[in-house]
Amino acid sequence: MIQFLLKGILRDKSRSILPIIVVSIGVALTVVLSAYMNGAFGDMIDQNARFETGHVKIMTKAYAKNIAQLPNDLALLEVDELTKSLEKDYPEMQWVNRIRFGGLIDVPDGQGESKGQGPAAGMAINLFDEKSGEAKRMNIEKSLVKGMMPKKNGEAIIGDDFAKKLNVNIGDEVTYFGTTMNGSMTFQNFVVSGTIRFGAAAIDRGVIMVDISDAQRMLDMENGTGELLGFSKLNIYEDEKVEFLASNFNEKYADDKDEFTPIMMPLRAQNNLGEIIDYSNYMSGIFIFIFVFAMSIVLWNTGLLGGLRRYQEFGIRLALGEAKGTIYRRLIMEAILIGMIGSIVGTLIGLAGAYYLQIVGIDISGYMDNSTMLMPSVLRAKVTFELFFIGFIPGLLAMVFGNMLSGIGIYKRETAQLFKELEV
Amino acid sequence: MKNGSIISIKNVTKRFPVGEGEFTALKNINLEFQSGEFAGLVGPSGSGKTTLLNIIGSLDSPTEGEALVLGKSISKLSHKESALLRNKHIGFIFQVYNLLPVYTVYENVEFALLLQNIPKVQRQKMVMEALDWVGLASMADKKPDKLSGGEGQRVAIARAIVKKPVIVIADEPSANLDAENTYAILKTMRELNKNLGTTFLFSTHDEKVMGHLDRIIHLRDGAVEEDEIINVKTLTK
Ligand SMILES: Nc1ncnc2c1ncn2[C@@H]1O[C@H](COP(=O)(O)OP(=O)(O)OP(=O)(O)O)[C@@H](O)[C@H]1O
Ligand SMILES: [Mg+2]
Repeated sequence: MIQFLLKGILRDKSRSILPIIVVSIGVALTVVLSAYMNGAFGDMIDQNARFETGHVKIMTKAYAKNIAQLPNDLALLEVDELTKSLEKDYPEMQWVNRIRFGGLIDVPDGQGESKGQGPAAGMAINLFDEKSGEAKRMNIEKSLVKGMMPKKNGEAIIGDDFAKKLNVNIGDEVTYFGTTMNGSMTFQNFVVSGTIRFGAAAIDRGVIMVDISDAQRMLDMENGTGELLGFSKLNIYEDEKVEFLASNFNEKYADDKDEFTPIMMPLRAQNNLGEIIDYSNYMSGIFIFIFVFAMSIVLWNTGLLGGLRRYQEFGIRLALGEAKGTIYRRLIMEAILIGMIGSIVGTLIGLAGAYYLQIVGIDISGYMDNSTMLMPSVLRAKVTFELFFIGFIPGLLAMVFGNMLSGIGIYKRETAQLFKELEV
Repeated sequence: MKNGSIISIKNVTKRFPVGEGEFTALKNINLEFQSGEFAGLVGPSGSGKTTLLNIIGSLDSPTEGEALVLGKSISKLSHKESALLRNKHIGFIFQVYNLLPVYTVYENVEFALLLQNIPKVQRQKMVMEALDWVGLASMADKKPDKLSGGEGQRVAIARAIVKKPVIVIADEPSANLDAENTYAILKTMRELNKNLGTTFLFSTHDEKVMGHLDRIIHLRDGAVEEDEIINVKTLTK
């Protein structure tokens, strides 16, 4: 019987083509959009994690409260000891120190006069120890525009646009002016070893990167750090795991009222990322719902039209002794067959589109120049395993659902009218 | 039910709701049909022919009285049971032959057997046999739109007869056919009636058809006006 139905579907193009087109378009759009949202939000989260938030971040409670001001006077101290105990308690995580600092960059000319000045967004990370994974994590090597990574203390990388603005070349000396942890003035000369462009407006602006040891020295932060970031060693961000980790850590210090006690914040508690994660899940859900809904309505209508065109066929089948329930069930079976064909076609088209957007991406850097949000400048889709289902199942459901609605008409047929209906 | 009686209509009345009131389409009908009859309902338009065939074919049920078909009381059958009765034992031939356009002649005839879950090999044999009876075995692979009117109606006969039903019901089967084709299909049905013992019940206006019937039941205003037995031989056989 299935064979018989399949023949009907294949031969009667008007029965199959339109629903297949509708389902494939809906499914393809669902797949591409999901892939794109996954990719874009995923990249955004990933970039935030790498550059700013870590998978978790430990700070003092006071620092956390005023984080926007980068209050290094509230920094964590005795960090080595803390790190050791963290490594023991959470062996699946890697811990790294980072100091972010503000200040001024001055470029002196040969005579010691100022050639140019600009506000600095300082970032000190472990540049020298490859095991820390920091250089790789921040993709420094690949983001270098000129020169190379600092090899020793006293060297720095500065933002490429910043360098152009200040007219600084590789090998030139720049001077950092700022305040130490204790609030006294400090300055430090750095030789520019390279210039860099990360491609995210929020970090490229006025960036200067130095090794953590340089920052600790010039800011009087020996064995201290503004932020202690934790990354899962597999470099996979898992919302729930990390949440658990943070609450586990914070429990230990729950009773401590000292504002210098450490507090661990998971990624989602920082930079509104929690909202973004929820929003992305929510939006995916909404999109899929809208597609299923719209597809169902269209398919319901095509089902109704199909029912009209097949009025005679259903009449004959009723007369030949096929029960209404059987006709209905077989109609649904046809819908499943057609829905599967459409869903497979749509998934393939969608995957191809998603793959294309994964490679090419959409450049949004033009919109992000003034943004303080850490966003990748090219948003790319991400092809994941779940894409095989995310469109397929709704496509199938919509087709089945649409036909379940339209097929109800069969139950309204009066067998007593068959002769009259079939005699026109 | 008498011996050999397969259809027994007892005091059947059928009323239809019309507007506020009711319209009585059949008035206290009493009829008996034996296995192997070749009988026709004749009467002016609106006399109740289709209504009566509907009841016998388990497509509708009487308002009053009892219609027994193959021992089953039509008004007591559920929708499913009446579908099963049609599926197994009753074949229908319509005024328009109503073939499914996307399927071949062969598949159209086969469909009646698919509904009975008959295995493929057996199906094949039965379909070709039925097409042989109507003389269209060579057209098995044609689509309905390639057939002439007479050929189409013969395929419809093959579809009705392929499952070897006890009763074939034909509502004005010749209405769209010329004299030659009418003669051809009547001859075919007559042969099937003789060879398989299938009971044929027609409704018709057509004089050409009436000439071939063993029994003519004249209906007028929903009542039997005359039950005319022409060929007693087939009835007493
Ligand atoms: N569902 C219905 N509702 C109301 N009246 C009906 C219904 N079906 C049939 N009738 C009426 O019952 C009467 C008998 O109809 P029926 O179709 O049985 O006549 P018929 O003898 O087959 O006529 P024809 O030769 O035109 O086919 C007609 O007057 C018709 O209008
Ligand atoms: Mg009629």
